[in-house]
Amino acid sequence: MTSKGHLRMKMSVKLFGTLRERFLDYRHQDGIEVEVPDGATAKELLSLLKISESEGAVVAMEGRILKRDDKMQQGAQVYVFQAIHGG
Amino acid sequence: MKIIRVNMNKKTIRSEDVPQDYAGLGGRGLTSIIVNAEVPPKCDPLGPENKLIFAPGLLSGTPLVNTSRISIGAKSPLTGTIKESNAGGTAAAALGSLGITAIIIEGQAPEGELSYLRIDEKGDISLVSAKGYKGMRTYQLVEKILEKYGKKTSVLCIGPAGESMLTAASIQSSDIDGRPARAAGRGGLGAVMGAKGLKAVVIDQRGKSADLIADPEAFKEANKAIVKAIKEHPMAGQVMPALGTAGLVAPVNSMGAFPSFNARKGVFEGWEKISGEAMAELIKKRGGNPTHMGCAQCIVHCSNEFVDKEGKYVTSGLEYETIWATGGMCGIDDLDTIAKLDNLCDDIGVDTMSTGVAVAVAMDAGYKKFGDSAAAIEMVEEIGKGTEFGKILGNGPAAVGKRFNHNRVPVVKGQSVAAYDPRAMLGNGVTFATSPMGADHTAGNVVGEYLEQKLNPLNAEGQVEASRNLQIATAAADCTGICFMAYVALTTPEAWGEVVKAINAKSGTQLAPEDLIGMGVRVLKAEREFNRKAGFTNKDDRLPKFYYEEPLPPHNTVFSISDEKVDSTFDF
Repeated sequence: MTSKGHLRMKMSVKLFGTLRERFLDYRHQDGIEVEVPDGATAKELLSLLKISESEGAVVAMEGRILKRDDKMQQGAQVYVFQAIHGG
Repeated sequence: MKIIRVNMNKKTIRSEDVPQDYAGLGGRGLTSIIVNAEVPPKCDPLGPENKLIFAPGLLSGTPLVNTSRISIGAKSPLTGTIKESNAGGTAAAALGSLGITAIIIEGQAPEGELSYLRIDEKGDISLVSAKGYKGMRTYQLVEKILEKYGKKTSVLCIGPAGESMLTAASIQSSDIDGRPARAAGRGGLGAVMGAKGLKAVVIDQRGKSADLIADPEAFKEANKAIVKAIKEHPMAGQVMPALGTAGLVAPVNSMGAFPSFNARKGVFEGWEKISGEAMAELIKKRGGNPTHMGCAQCIVHCSNEFVDKEGKYVTSGLEYETIWATGGMCGIDDLDTIAKLDNLCDDIGVDTMSTGVAVAVAMDAGYKKFGDSAAAIEMVEEIGKGTEFGKILGNGPAAVGKRFNHNRVPVVKGQSVAAYDPRAMLGNGVTFATSPMGADHTAGNVVGEYLEQKLNPLNAEGQVEASRNLQIATAAADCTGICFMAYVALTTPEAWGEVVKAINAKSGTQLAPEDLIGMGVRVLKAEREFNRKAGFTNKDDRLPKFYYEEPLPPHNTVFSISDEKVDSTFDF
């Protein structure tokens, strides 16, 4: 058996708002390919991307907003943006 | 501080001290309390008994940042309810600086007579004939007024739609560049202004009232803390300057709640072409300005100046709701078309939301194809030209639905919903159903609760409570003159305390933070009371039938909150 953390999951992440500005070679059409440990959470993904809690970042996958402890899925299209309260 | 009463029949202008019943109120608080006290609830909204009230917020006209919202209130000809619609620009600060708490327009000018109200630097007020401005669109009108009175002039005005008393007519507000690109769009208040025979309110921005701030030192301290809170907030300090409210296109589509093709789908295939990110990039590439200051004293800069391929100005303050209504709802994924439609609506003087949704309903009914940009532009042009179809369109989505005998009309109490589908954001459905304003995204928007993972948008639990709390908080914020973009940064107990400090320092009052929330409750109760007297019951607090029956992809859910639960929203 492989213990948690040994397997890796790949997913494509697209960044919105001002978050993309920190990745110099970011191309929106392609997004970023990210590898996280099996069972990684939304919080761990944000930490990997060096996006801090104070930036109001939101992770969305499969049409849903994830809670910080929700687990990421292999092969998912992930969107990360910042919370906006209305317009 | 004073209230100005203008009688359009008698051509009289009276200045009075603020009476006790209206003391301590501003913005929406003032317009709604006055409408409830003085307007007969069953009156014809376009008749002489209705009153049109302009009220800057409690803090407008002070040096406090982001306090440039002006509330405009009346009985609405679109909804038949009480109405407050607020706009940015420069008028609120100009009126506040002159020590004017409210202008109340009463009566009705004889048919065919058109005037504008002029308020000069000293605060002297006169009614001037607007004969030469009859039928004029708003951009040309404001240009002419600024030529006459100089650049330091604020204008609130109507276009041909308002003069024709079309029920989706807006009141346009000039920005710091002297363009009428801001709007009190909702509820057809432009039609009320047209019915009064008032083309514009023209205010000198250089007026100064000696008694504006009771405790300048305390005020300065509060201002400093408020500036810091706004600058440090991720939405107000980062996202709004970069993208404006258009930044919502991505999150709302990602949640499957972006009503498109007249609310048949929750994700618009072309959303990445009309997102805030795409718009900012396009504007930058063409040499326009994606981070524009639209309102007096603004430090957020959520506005933009959209330019065409040649770099020529098209519109400014292109917002999320407009992008949705004239874009996604109509199946249009072209920003140039959307910007053109925004400009046309501002120029003709109609609400971009009601108009976009009205076009979408016509398309849904088969009148034109979804995605047909040229047809959409032509349809909106017809409002300006005053054709028979243009008049129907300018009366909003319900009028269009009736014309085509089409029942998929996304309105509550006659007013179109906003860019958050009630089937995928249940709390927004509660707000749309129960707000005294009719469907309204500014009356208690729950989207932030979902994005901050405080609430699951698809689960009925907690939605009514969230809507209730936000309706109260928004009503309170709407009294202050502070714009929503800054307000979101001021909801922590510390920052909210600073807002209350600023109000106390200005007015010499001793309000506690909960008193300001109490003001929100008082305002909502007054609004609800007016609607009850006008004949509205709980049965009017319902969404259109299709929201309960037609699942919205991709989640394939319907609006699932019981009538009983919805009716408990105002249990306070």
